[in-house]
Amino acid sequence: MASSTSASDLGPGTALLLLAPLTVLMAAILLYPLGVTVWTSVNNGGFTLSAYADLAQSTLFLKVLRNTFEIAIGGTLMSLVIGYPVAMHLAAQPPTRRTAYLIMVMLPFWTSILVKSFALVAVFGNQGLVNQLLGFLSGGAIKLPMMFNRVGVILGMLNFLLPFMILSILGSLLSLDRRLILAAETMGAGPLRIFWRITLPLSMPGMIAGILINVTLSIGMYITPALLGGRQDMMVANLVDFYTRQTLDWTAASATAVVLLVLSGLLVALLGRVRGAAGLSEAGA
Amino acid sequence: MTVTTAPAMVELQGVSKRYADVDALHPVDLTIAKGEFVTLLGPSGSGKSTLLNLIAGMVAPSSGRIVIDGRDATTLPTNQRGLGMVFQNYALMPHMTVFENIAFPLQVRKVPKAEIRRRVGAVLDLIQLGHVANRRPRELSGGQQQRISLARCIVYNPALILMDEPLGALDKKLREQMQLEIKRLHAELGITMLYVTHDQDEALTMSDRIVLMNGGRIEQQGTPDTLYFRPETVFSAEFIGSSNLLAGTLEAGPDGAPVLRTALGTFPVPAPDRPIERGAKAMLLVRPENMTLQRGGDTVHVTGRIEDSILLGGVVRHFVRCADGSTIIVQELNQPGRVDAERGHEVAAGWLPQHGRLLPAPPAG
Amino acid sequence: MNELFGSSRAARRITSTLAWLCYLFLLVPSLIVIPISFGNPGQIEFPPRQLTLDLYRQFFTDPAWWGSMVQSLLVAVATTLLTLLLAVPAAYALARSRLPGRRGLQGLFMMPMLVPVIVLGLGLYLQFSSWGLLDTTAGIILAHIMLTTPYIMVSVLSGLKHSDIALETVAAIMGASRVTIFFRVVLPQLKAAIAVGALFAFLMSLDEVVVAYFLTGTQTMTLPVKMFSSIRWELTPVLAAVSTLLTVLSLLIALGIIALQRKTEASS
Ligand SMILES: Nc1ncnc2c1ncn2[C@@H]1O[C@H](COP(=O)(O)OP(=O)(O)O)[C@@H](O)[C@H]1O
Ligand SMILES: [Mg+2]
Repeated sequence: MASSTSASDLGPGTALLLLAPLTVLMAAILLYPLGVTVWTSVNNGGFTLSAYADLAQSTLFLKVLRNTFEIAIGGTLMSLVIGYPVAMHLAAQPPTRRTAYLIMVMLPFWTSILVKSFALVAVFGNQGLVNQLLGFLSGGAIKLPMMFNRVGVILGMLNFLLPFMILSILGSLLSLDRRLILAAETMGAGPLRIFWRITLPLSMPGMIAGILINVTLSIGMYITPALLGGRQDMMVANLVDFYTRQTLDWTAASATAVVLLVLSGLLVALLGRVRGAAGLSEAGA
Repeated sequence: MTVTTAPAMVELQGVSKRYADVDALHPVDLTIAKGEFVTLLGPSGSGKSTLLNLIAGMVAPSSGRIVIDGRDATTLPTNQRGLGMVFQNYALMPHMTVFENIAFPLQVRKVPKAEIRRRVGAVLDLIQLGHVANRRPRELSGGQQQRISLARCIVYNPALILMDEPLGALDKKLREQMQLEIKRLHAELGITMLYVTHDQDEALTMSDRIVLMNGGRIEQQGTPDTLYFRPETVFSAEFIGSSNLLAGTLEAGPDGAPVLRTALGTFPVPAPDRPIERGAKAMLLVRPENMTLQRGGDTVHVTGRIEDSILLGGVVRHFVRCADGSTIIVQELNQPGRVDAERGHEVAAGWLPQHGRLLPAPPAG
Repeated sequence: MNELFGSSRAARRITSTLAWLCYLFLLVPSLIVIPISFGNPGQIEFPPRQLTLDLYRQFFTDPAWWGSMVQSLLVAVATTLLTLLLAVPAAYALARSRLPGRRGLQGLFMMPMLVPVIVLGLGLYLQFSSWGLLDTTAGIILAHIMLTTPYIMVSVLSGLKHSDIALETVAAIMGASRVTIFFRVVLPQLKAAIAVGALFAFLMSLDEVVVAYFLTGTQTMTLPVKMFSSIRWELTPVLAAVSTLLTVLSLLIALGIIALQRKTEASS
C-alpha cells in the first residue's frame, strides 16, 4: 500500500462507483442542456453566428441589455448605500441582540420570492398600504405609482439583494479590530475621520464581495421584473422567456441565454478571485 | 505618603466604576505629577485597565472627578483629552504603511505636509526604524510593531501616554529590551507615562512610582524601594518579591519591647509603621535574602530541616521545613566552593531583628 | 462606547433610524400576508375589515389550487429523497478518496448554483421537448434533483469535514468493512448535516418557479407556477392564504435548520 493512503481512504474503484450515478445525471440534466442551448444558438442548418449578429442589431435586445445593467447596477448601489449603515448598526449590537436583528434580515431570505412579490404589490401597489396612507394623509391628492414600473422592480430587487449585501459587509465589520478605533480616538480623530480612514477601507473586502454577489444575482433576475415591472422594464432573463414562448424563436432565445451565461460566468469568476471558493457558494445560496 | 511638588498631570478624585454586578473600581484618589512614570501593578482583574480606560475616556466613571492637565475631563470625549495610548496588540492600522500610521495623529491635528514628513522621519530615527517607513505593519516583527506604536504616540507630543500591558505579547528577552527603550524615551522626552502591568519585575525596573492595586482598590503606592522594603500589608509583601511570613500575637517582652509569639517561638520585632495593639494578631515579614543558614548562633532564628536547595545562578535558595509544617525560604549568595547542608539535616534560619517587618494580620477571608 | 465610528451620538442615531427602516422593509413583505389572509374574499385588504377563513376555504375547495400544492409537495419530497440518495454517497467519495479529477467533479456538482436559472430553464425546455419529458412529473423531479444537488453537497461535505476521520480509521483497523464503516460510523455522524441539506433541498424545490414554469403544463403545474401566473394575471386574494401557508412552512423549516446547526456546533 502506498504510504500516503490511510486506512480511511476509499479505493478508486469504490469512489468511482459512488460518484458515477450523480455524475451521469449531472452530465445529462446539466451539461447536456447547456450544450443544447449553445448548439441551438449557433446552428441554423449549419454553424453560424448570425443569431448573435441579429441580437447586436436588435433594438429590443439592446434596450433590454441596457435595462439589465441599469437595474442590476442601480439596485446594487442602492443596496450598498442602504446596507452599509444597517451592517454598522448590526456590528455595534451586543451578540444576543445582533442575533435577534439578524433574524429580521434573514427572513426575506427564507420567504418564497412569490410571497414577497405578492406582498410588495399589496404594500406598494396602487391600492396598497403606502398609497392608502398617502391618500388618507393628503385627502386623496397624492397617489404614487410604485408598482409595475421601474420603482417596483427596484423595490423588489432591494428586498432580495439587501440580506446578501448586509451579511457580506457585516462579516468585514465584525472582523475589524475595535482597538484600532479606540487608538484613533485617543489620537484625537473625530467620527468622520475614523469612518473614512479606518472603518470604510477595512470593510472594503466585504463591500466588494457584496457588490459582486448583488450584481451576479440581479443580472439573471426573472421573477421580479416579470411581476413587479412594466413592459419597459424587461431584463435579459425575461427576454429569453419572451423569445421562447411569445415569438417561438429558439435560436434567439438560446443566443440571449448564452450572453447571460457568459456575463454571469465572468462575474462569478471575479467573485471567486475576490473571495475564494467560499464566495462562490454564498453567491448561489 | 508621597509628596508631589510638581504640578499634577492627572488627578482622580473619588473615581469609581461599577458594572452591572461588579465593582471594577472602588472610589480612588490618585495624583500623577507632570513628567512622572507611574505604574499600575496588580493581579489580573484588580481594576488596572478600568482605571486606565477611565483616564482615557473609553469608560465613563460611576462617580468622581477626573482632572487632566488642570482641566475637568470627567465627561470630555476621548478624542479631546489630548492623550496617547499604546495597546498590547499594538493597534496599528493594517491598511496603512508605517509612515501613514505615524502620520495619522498629525493629520488629525492638521499639521502641514512638510512638517509631517519631518516629524515622522525624526521619530522613526529616534526608534531606529527609519528603514521600514514604507512597509505595512504585518511585515514587521512584534517588537518592531510595538516600537512603531510608541512612535505613533510620541510623534504628536501628548502630555500623557497611557500603556496597557504594552509588552505582554513579547517574549522575555524582547520585553526586557523594550522596557529599557521605553525608560530611555521617558527620560529623553519627559512625557508623563502611566503604565499598566501585572509583572512585578517590570514595575520595579521602570517606575518612578508604583501604584499597587488589589480588588479594585489601591493597596499601596510609593517608589519601588518603598514597596519592596516597606510593604504595609501582607498583600503588598507577597505580591512584590518573595517573603517569609510568621503569624502570631503581639506582646510586650521582658524589657517592654514588642515581641511576636508564634508557633515557632517568640521573636523580637521592630515597631510597626502604624501602631498595632498589644494582644492583636500580627505577622512578621522577613525577606529570604535577609536570612542566613547557620548552626546555632545567637541571632534570632527558627529551626527546621533542609528540604531542598536550588541554584538560581548568582543565588541559592534553601527551603527549610519547620516543626509546624510551614516552609521558610533562605536565599544566600552563591560562592565558589559552597557546601550545602544535606537534605533532612537540622538547620537554623536566622535574621537580624531590625530586618524583620511587622505587618497587621490580613482581614479574615 | 467603542462603536465603529467612535463615540459620536449623532452618527449612531442616524444609522439606527436607517437600520430600523430597513428592517421594516425586509420584514413587512414576509409577514403582511398573514393578516391579509384572514380578510374578505372580495379584495386584498390590509388591515382586514373582518376576520374570516373564507380565503382558506376557497384555496382548499379549488382543485386548481390545492391540486398544485399536492403536486408541489410530491415533487419536493421525491426530489429530496432522490437527491440524498445520489449526493450523499458522492459527497463521501469526494471527501474520502484521492481520485484524480475529483475537484472537477465537485465543480460540476456545484455548478447549478452558479448558472442563472433562466439559462437552465431554457436548456431543459429545449432538451425535454425532444425527449418527451415536458409536462411530466418525472421531468420536473429530474430538473429539481439537479438544482438541489449543490445544497445537499455543501451541507454533507461540511459535515464530513467536521466528522472525526480517526473513528473511521479505528473501525477499519478493528476489521470493519467499508459498508459497515459507512453505515455504522459515517452516517450517524452526518445525521444533522444530512437533515440540514434535506430541509434546504425540500424548501428549494417547493419554492422553485423559473424552471418549473418552463417544464410544467396544465397536468403537472406546481404551486409556485400557479402563484406566478395568478400574481401576473388576476391577483386574487386567495394568494394571501397560499402565501401564509408557504411562509409558515418556510419559517418552520428555517427554525429546524437553525436548531440543527446549533446542535452540531455545540457538539463539535
Ligand atoms: N465591560 C465590563 N463589564 C463587566 N465587568 C467588567 C468589564 N470590564 C471589566 N470588568 C470587571 O472589572 C474588574 C476589573 O477589570 P480590569 O480593570 O480589566 O482588571 P485588570 O486590567 O486589572 O486585569 C474585573 O472583575 C472585570 O471582570
Ligand atoms: Mg487589564
